[in-house]
Formats: sequence, C-alpha cells, structure tokens
Amino acid sequence: MSLLAAYDWSLIWENKGDLFRGLLIAIEVAVVALVLSVAVGLLLALARMSRPPFSWLAAIYVNVFRGVPALVSVIWVYFGWSLILGINFTVFQAGVIALVLLYGAFISEIYRAALEAIQRGQREAGLALGMHPIRVFVQIVLPQATKIAIPNIGSMFIGMIKDTSTFTVIGLLEVVRVTQNLNSVTFQPFVLYTAAAAMYVMAAFVFDFLFRSIEKSLTTPPRGGIAKTATGRRRRRIDLVVKNVEALSGRT
Amino acid sequence: MSVTPRSASGRESRPVVELRGIRKSFGTVEVLHGVDLTVHAGEHVVIFGPSGSGKSTVLRTINLLEEPSEGSVRVLGVEYGPGLPGDRAEKRGGPVQLRRHVGMVFQQFNLFPHLTALHNIALPLRAAKGLRRREAEERAGLALRQVGLLRWAGHYPAELSGGQQQRVAIARALSLDPEVMLFDEPTSALDPELVGEVLAVMRELAESGMTMVIVTHELNFAREIGDFNVFMDQGLIVESGRRGFFDSCSNVRTCQFIEAVL
Repeated sequence: MSLLAAYDWSLIWENKGDLFRGLLIAIEVAVVALVLSVAVGLLLALARMSRPPFSWLAAIYVNVFRGVPALVSVIWVYFGWSLILGINFTVFQAGVIALVLLYGAFISEIYRAALEAIQRGQREAGLALGMHPIRVFVQIVLPQATKIAIPNIGSMFIGMIKDTSTFTVIGLLEVVRVTQNLNSVTFQPFVLYTAAAAMYVMAAFVFDFLFRSIEKSLTTPPRGGIAKTATGRRRRRIDLVVKNVEALSGRT
Repeated sequence: MSVTPRSASGRESRPVVELRGIRKSFGTVEVLHGVDLTVHAGEHVVIFGPSGSGKSTVLRTINLLEEPSEGSVRVLGVEYGPGLPGDRAEKRGGPVQLRRHVGMVFQQFNLFPHLTALHNIALPLRAAKGLRRREAEERAGLALRQVGLLRWAGHYPAELSGGQQQRVAIARALSLDPEVMLFDEPTSALDPELVGEVLAVMRELAESGMTMVIVTHELNFAREIGDFNVFMDQGLIVESGRRGFFDSCSNVRTCQFIEAVL
C-alpha cells in the first residue's frame, strides 16, 4: 500500500456539509464582530483624537488589547467573566465579544489614520457653509475616511475569520472544532486539516474579492459592478435635474 | 428675496461686518495685533499684503474659522466674538448661525471629492437650510447654471479643471444666499490660463451688488473692483483707501509692495 493511499481523501467530500456549516458559523461570528468592531473602533478613534482624559483612556485600551491573543481573550470572556461577574454568555456571544475587544482596538488605529488623512479644508468648508459640526463629520469627513479605511478593514476581517479557529476551546462549532470532531472518529488529521485550511483560504478569497468591489465602488467616479447599479440611478436623477433647470431657464 | 441696494460710495449704507480690536495668537505668537475693519452692504473690500501678514487670518475671523483671542466680531449687528476689553458680556450668536450669513471661497477650492458637482451644492442646502432633496437639487442646478457649469452637474471634482472647481465652489457658497462673500486667495492655486474664468464670475458677482471681502494677489483685479482697499503687513493694517488707492499710496511699505506686484 502506497503512502498516499493511506489518506482517505473521500472524507472531505463525505463531510463537506459539516465543514461548510463550521465555516458558516465562523463567518457569522466574524461578521457580527466586524460590524460592532467598526462602531467601537470609530468611537475609540474619536476618543483618542479628543481631549486628554478621553485620549489617554483610548490609548491605554488600544495598546492593551492589541497585544492580547484571541485565544486568551475568548477564555477570559467565556470563563473569566462567568466566574468573576457571573455573566454567562453563549459560545457565539463570547466569540463575538472576544473579537470586538481586540479588533475594536485595531480598527480604531485604522480609522484614526484615515481621519487624520482628510484635509482640514474639508471640515472648514463644511463649517463655512453653515453646517453643524456633527453633520460635517458624518456627511463629509466620515465617508472620505471610510473609503481610505476599507482596504485595511478588509484584511482585518480576514484575520477575524481566522481567529475564530481559536474558539474551538470554548466549544464553538466552527471549522477547527468540526475538524477535530471528525478526526477523533476517523484518525485522518492530515486530510482533515488540509480541508480546514482550504476552507479558510476559500473564505479569504471570497471576502477579498468582496472588499475590493466595495473599494472600487467608493472611488470617485465609481468603478465596478456594484457601483453601476447604484450610480446609474443617481446619474439619471442628475440628468433629470439638469433637464428641469434648462427648461426653467427656457421659460424665463 | 431682496437684493441689497448698492450705494454709490458704500459709505452711507449699513455695515455688514464690523471687526474691532481683533487680536489673534497661535500659542505664544501673536499674529494679529489689533485689526479694525468695517464692510458695508454692497461694498467690495480688498485685503492685500505679503504672505504672513495676517490677511487670511482676518478673513477667517469674520466667519469664526479662526476664533479671535480678543476683539469684537459683529455681523449684521449681532456680536459673535469675545468682545472688546471692558465690554459687558452681551448675548453672543453661535458660529453656526453666523456662517449662515457668510459665504466663503477657499484657495484650495475644498470641494467634497466624494460628491458630484451638483451634490456638493445640494448637500449644504439640505444640511444648513433644511431644504428637501428635490428642492435642494433644483436650486443646486440653478446655482451651477449661474456659473456656466450646469452641463457638469454629474461630474466629480476630480473630473473638473481647477477653474471649474473654483466656480462650483463659488456657486456652492452663493446658493445659500449669503449677505457677504469672503474670498481667500481664490485664484492663487490656479494655472494662469484658468484665472480669467474665475475672475469673470467674481466680476459678475460684484456687479450684481454682492458684498465681498477679497484677499488676493491679483492687484489689477483689485484695482478694478476694490471700493475699499486694505494693505496689511506684520499683523496690522498699514494703510487703507478707497478707489484710486493703488495710484495714491502714501506709506513707503505700501508703495513698495504695490510697485513690486503690479
């Protein structure tokens, strides 16, 4: 019997359903965590750019939690908070919180750099036009900063999906946990972990493509398929306004 | 909408902007050492002088993009600045309220790069004037037509020339019906061949009776348009005068500067 024949590659096909369900759970945790991390990260970035007591607190938070590994974070949240505070999270919740604690810190640094890259004149123009400072931030500064931040947030997201693999320690049924379970029955670690790796790589490719499309649609003028549908409508709207104004000037 | 009548001399009409004793420090460095300036309705005030003389800071004080360290900023009779020493604390207006009467055009245009020309104008109309989307877009279209750029409504700033961008910026400020327009070196960032189109729009605006305060190095334009001309150097107004000022300066520094630039 050749060495290669000892590996039962058909296992992958037979268990593809379980593996994909694992990947789906990993992605679900990561997506929820991403949304919350962006919100937390933005607030941290604003705190860090503001007055001393807030800026210090944000800086301390960022420097501490950037240094904590996901494995430690999730054990701390799932078991630690339960022991000390009596808060019992489901494994899904604990996974999300563990990721948000870490990636909120990373994303705050991404947003800080992006916000600082927006020229002061943009804010000044908004203010000079009589806009309220909050509207200036939300409608002028933030969209431009987000466009700068998107590629980095995309790679953070792929990191988040990979970090869910550590949540196997709290029993979240993600890819690695599924792989371990299958392995305990079939004793085919090489085959199964190769499959697990392939799942992550696949997810990375898909999301990389997705974030690239979003990035493209945010360029001005927008490019790419996603943008086409959205801007086609806007363009027709503008054409209509132009036509109306031309008609108006024709009458007077 | 009423058009402010332009008096022949600008001397008798009501003051729109009054600056009194404006001082401004950045850290420990004082860059304005007490500036007084009054702008009447319909008047075209030109501020010129060497770089670093504080002329842009004076302009930016009018709409409180720079908050003065000391002095009174009064627009349409309402006090917005910290006031003069010894003044009793009056009720002061907020900067957002002030800026709704004052339009500004920047050296670097400062169009919003993520919005089309039309929406650069429509956004502030919605945000500051509270117009509904439809009305805001139509007014934005009218403003673009005024500067001859209606055809470019759907283009982004990156797709426009510098001169076109500045004309959109002027249309954007005008669309909000300001009582006074501030121009901070509006042609300094433009290629020489594009300066003319921006000056043409400004000339037209001046002829329509708009109250304008212009910081510029274009002294030929200033000579043509300036009802009141102010020469600044080292944080102070050195000399000022009405029409004909450029040919009848009396201060040595002023004359030197005018001779060097004109």
